[in-house]
Amino acid sequence: MNGARQTLTDRIIRAAVPLIFLAVLLVFGAMEPGYLSAGNLTNIVKQAAFIGIAAVGMVFVLLTAGIDLSVGSVMYLAPLLAGFFMRETGLGVFPGLLVAILAGMAMGAINGFFIVRLKIIPFIVTLSTLFFFRGAGTFMTSSRQFDFSRDMLDFGLTSLAGIPLPIIVLAIVAAAAHVVLTRTTFGRQVYAVGADAEAARKAGINVGSVRFRVYVISSACAALAGFVLISQIGRLDQAFGEGREFDVIAAAVLGGASLFGGIGTVWSAIVGATLIQAVKTGLVFSGINLYLQPMLQGLVIFVAVLLDTLRSGRLAERMRRTIRAAGEPGPGRK
Amino acid sequence: MKSVSIDSDIVRAEESSGRRGLRGSLARLASRLLLSDYFVFYLTVAYFILLLPFLPTLSNPANLSNILSNTWPLLVVAIGQTFVLTIAGIDLSQGSVVGLSSTVGGILIATAATDTVLGNAPVWGLLIGEGGGALAGLPGSIYLGIAAMLMIGILIGSINGAAIAYLKMPPFMVTLVSMIVFSALAIYLTQSENVSNLPDGFVALGKGDIVSVYLGAKETANIPRRQIYSLVTYPMVIAIVTALAAHVLLSFTVFGRYVYAVGRNRDAAEISGVPVKRVIMLVFVISAVCATIGSILYSARLEAGRPTLGEGNFLLDVIGATVIGGTSLFGGKGKIIWTFFGVLFFVLLSNSLNLMNLSSFHIDMVKGAVILAAALLDVARTRLMQGRLA
Amino acid sequence: MSAILEIDRIEKSFFGIHALKPVTFNVERGAVIGLIGENGAGKSTLMNIIGGVVSPSGGSMRFKGEPYSPRSAADAARAGIAFIHQELNLFGNLSVGENIFVDGYPKRYGLIDRAAITRRTREILGILSLDISPGTPVGTLSPGERQLVEIAKALHLDAELVIFDEPTTSLTPRETARLFEAIDLLRSQGKTIIYISHILADVARLSDTILVLRDGTLVATRQADRISIPDMISLMIGRNLEALFPSRLSVPGEEIVFRIRGISKAGILENVSLEVRRGEILGLFGLMGSGRTELARMIFGLDRVSRGEIEVDGQPIDLSSSVRSRIRSGLAFVTENRRSEGLFMEAPIADNVSIVSLGRYASGPLKLLDEERVSEVASRICQDLRIKAADADRQPVKSLSGGNQQKVVIGKWLLSSPKLLILDEPTRGVDVGAKYEIYSLVDRVAAEGNGILFISSEIEELMGMCDRIAVMSQGEITATFAKPFTDEAILKAAFREQAA
Repeated sequence: MNGARQTLTDRIIRAAVPLIFLAVLLVFGAMEPGYLSAGNLTNIVKQAAFIGIAAVGMVFVLLTAGIDLSVGSVMYLAPLLAGFFMRETGLGVFPGLLVAILAGMAMGAINGFFIVRLKIIPFIVTLSTLFFFRGAGTFMTSSRQFDFSRDMLDFGLTSLAGIPLPIIVLAIVAAAAHVVLTRTTFGRQVYAVGADAEAARKAGINVGSVRFRVYVISSACAALAGFVLISQIGRLDQAFGEGREFDVIAAAVLGGASLFGGIGTVWSAIVGATLIQAVKTGLVFSGINLYLQPMLQGLVIFVAVLLDTLRSGRLAERMRRTIRAAGEPGPGRK
Repeated sequence: MKSVSIDSDIVRAEESSGRRGLRGSLARLASRLLLSDYFVFYLTVAYFILLLPFLPTLSNPANLSNILSNTWPLLVVAIGQTFVLTIAGIDLSQGSVVGLSSTVGGILIATAATDTVLGNAPVWGLLIGEGGGALAGLPGSIYLGIAAMLMIGILIGSINGAAIAYLKMPPFMVTLVSMIVFSALAIYLTQSENVSNLPDGFVALGKGDIVSVYLGAKETANIPRRQIYSLVTYPMVIAIVTALAAHVLLSFTVFGRYVYAVGRNRDAAEISGVPVKRVIMLVFVISAVCATIGSILYSARLEAGRPTLGEGNFLLDVIGATVIGGTSLFGGKGKIIWTFFGVLFFVLLSNSLNLMNLSSFHIDMVKGAVILAAALLDVARTRLMQGRLA
Repeated sequence: MSAILEIDRIEKSFFGIHALKPVTFNVERGAVIGLIGENGAGKSTLMNIIGGVVSPSGGSMRFKGEPYSPRSAADAARAGIAFIHQELNLFGNLSVGENIFVDGYPKRYGLIDRAAITRRTREILGILSLDISPGTPVGTLSPGERQLVEIAKALHLDAELVIFDEPTTSLTPRETARLFEAIDLLRSQGKTIIYISHILADVARLSDTILVLRDGTLVATRQADRISIPDMISLMIGRNLEALFPSRLSVPGEEIVFRIRGISKAGILENVSLEVRRGEILGLFGLMGSGRTELARMIFGLDRVSRGEIEVDGQPIDLSSSVRSRIRSGLAFVTENRRSEGLFMEAPIADNVSIVSLGRYASGPLKLLDEERVSEVASRICQDLRIKAADADRQPVKSLSGGNQQKVVIGKWLLSSPKLLILDEPTRGVDVGAKYEIYSLVDRVAAEGNGILFISSEIEELMGMCDRIAVMSQGEITATFAKPFTDEAILKAAFREQAA
């Protein structure tokens, strides 16, 4: 009798995010039919791409039960370095993009070094680099806005078969990350480390190397995300990316990645980022007081975390040994 | 052949114990310093003395008094964070508690307000109007206002605590959400405007002197205000009383022992009959109440209810100062006196960087590096402790 | 037959203490070796050395005639040695196939070839006649199925030597039978097996040769058909049973101090009833996974009970009441996991022993602690229980030996003046001398008129210490014995279902 009810609760918990998504679309659609227009829906995905790209990287980190608070600053500093590089060398946007990604990877390597080699917890390391990277950026710009050349904007506003650039980049990143996570040895090791780091070590997996690489990937994705968004606006002011780490983490967790490690897919990042953007856009459409909007977003995140907690709790319960296997009659009964 | 790490540790311990002479005693002194409760205090003093020749303004009475007045409110908030970190939690919502309680407090006790500033606020005409806040003019309005602020702290702390203790949600995410939601609420209430015209009695709590000193010539008839330096102020008294109370609570009561027990090993605490959930709940309430007291001091000093008061890098200062003091993010390790020294060091650091005319962003960069250094130091201390035991 | 593994004077010391004194033996190819010994006899250390988890302090090994000195578990696996740990090394979030191939995935075009994994996994699972899909996440499998997945891993590695460390602890009898079939299969393929277990009947049944370790020394190598279970026990213990236990001071009274009736929880316990009298030590025997620990946790309020009654000193205990209130009613619980549930390892002894009874040393509305009294009480407990410590106020518990740590745990409960003390495997990982002291201590607590519920998987200590022994199997009490005990009858009751 208990079994059937549990599976139903399980099912509801598992289907909760799609259900919330559906509800969000229906509610805002009912309030304002324009919300459901193809143009607006494309716009939602386009705006979600920024957080989505970074959230894909964050999923790698969360899978190993880590956290990366520095992504907001990486989003700022990496494209800035690329901007200086483009200005100094006169090279185009693509070399610039490459520089941004390499700079991101270097920042990830710094995080990884402190976490893996010096064994400081990810929270403190990435909290420190959050300030450090942003400080480095404002040092270079003297707190002024940085203007990119016209090429940057041209690049940002290109579209392929009517699909805007951010969506294309998101699709490429997501596809690549999906392949890495599901079809490479490294990807499966990320899951193994997140499920049980000690067992992973015993199984001969180089846990330190896996951890190091996820921070490099996270920062590379954040750098790319920053570069893509800047290409939409053509300039970089010193508050760019500030506080975005929370959006990125929230997106990944909302989509189903667990803060406790081992659970999550590339899909979680995309679904989460899109859902958050759908709510944001919807709130703008509905004309709710601007200052109230973060409150509603906060509540959506709260629900997501609550679901994650319930899900993990249930998983733990199921992993506990059962003594009297179902269907096997005990010794005392006929 | 590869040897197990335990073995090499033994070898190292044997080597170091066998070391004699000057190097040995220096090493012993270094390890005693590093493990001392006063380590960060020594560090603060050393930093001060080393910097003084290059930055003589550091020791100006005005600057010293400034350092102290920056210390008190931060200390109060960091005390709350110390409790939370000691149970292996984290409270990101303290900033929003500061902002929301400042705003509500301001709204309730302001003696006047103008339509042009607050006319758009949803509370206009309800809780505040041309004649001031709802409590303005009532006897003991300041106390009622403070009580209302404390209620807000208790409420937010209870929400955090309940979600963490009873729903078993991760403290990081829970307090992150409360940070977002309650900051937004504070800003919404006044539509991001500050509430000014706070009553004098309230303002005195933030800047009122009890004992002041004048270091100039005796015979001057009129002493300019800026030559009088605050020695004992209301914020100082409030902060020190809070710190002493927190110290007694954490070090000398059953509750304090329970706090350490929960942080050291939650399962063992539960089996030993420690009311784990109640302890977690209370600790988050304490954290929020400390944030509220900090908010009173800050609001009074700024003479305004400010929704954005705890925003920006406030949280970094609080967590940074606490961690530098020596309180561990892994729980089970924390002392009020450590936090006091941590806050003092952090305030001195910010102050000195300011005097060097560095921009706020450079200051953040240095702070980031200092927090990282503190974490490294903690790792080193832990290893040292283990080495001593082996 | 030729030797596949030659162990030559392998030894290991931790912190200057010999966990394993130089051990020499050969393992013949295709043999099944049973390895037995008490906790702390050095079995795990020896196997961890062979499995590459721990490096030896001295000696050498040869595997398949070649010098063998693994630096890691992965090295051992590459050499052809599979080590199936008591705690399985599986990842719940990966599929069965991915777990089997975790050390190296087949590739195609640089990517993992899932089709190949599925194909090969299906083949291996077929050999084990395990009917699960290769894509099933391991987290959804039963403990028995997971154990078989570990064996599948060994098959996939084509390991020539498979080490099993207590493989049946969390298995149901049916799953155990299945495991034994798989072991027979490995044997028929000419694999060599080392089987470690506390369940001597299993060892006797499976092995060709039995090795007995005691105090880090190999004390006997016997052919399995030439040694009886009592012989195994006396070899393991190395002395008379009587000498191991103190003579009992406590005499069970008439009055019942603790009673449970009909405790049930779906899937875990079924209708469990017990009574403990004043001054009585009631043993609770059962194999691991029989529900002993679960019962103790439920009595103590750590896990919920669906049905049943609990009474302490005639007072009923509310099934939804907290641990705290149950402690106040007179329950105390020494758990099986001393480190993770019993102690605050970093904290000093005084903090550890005082935690349960803190309220008694506090006064006023703030509950201010009387530090002096806490410190006094702590040093008194140290003296009383002969805890070897320099400074109870400052010395952290983790610097104490296992036996002294366990005395700290018992000490903290003595301070709460319990009426019923539940002990779950109180002598696990404790050396023989400290065991004796713990037994005396338990006897003393009983002599003061309290009841003891003594849970253990070591049948000898229960027979040596208890007035009565209840036996659990599959979450039920299958029998209760009074003196004189026979281990045969007790084991039979523990294996009840399997016998049927």
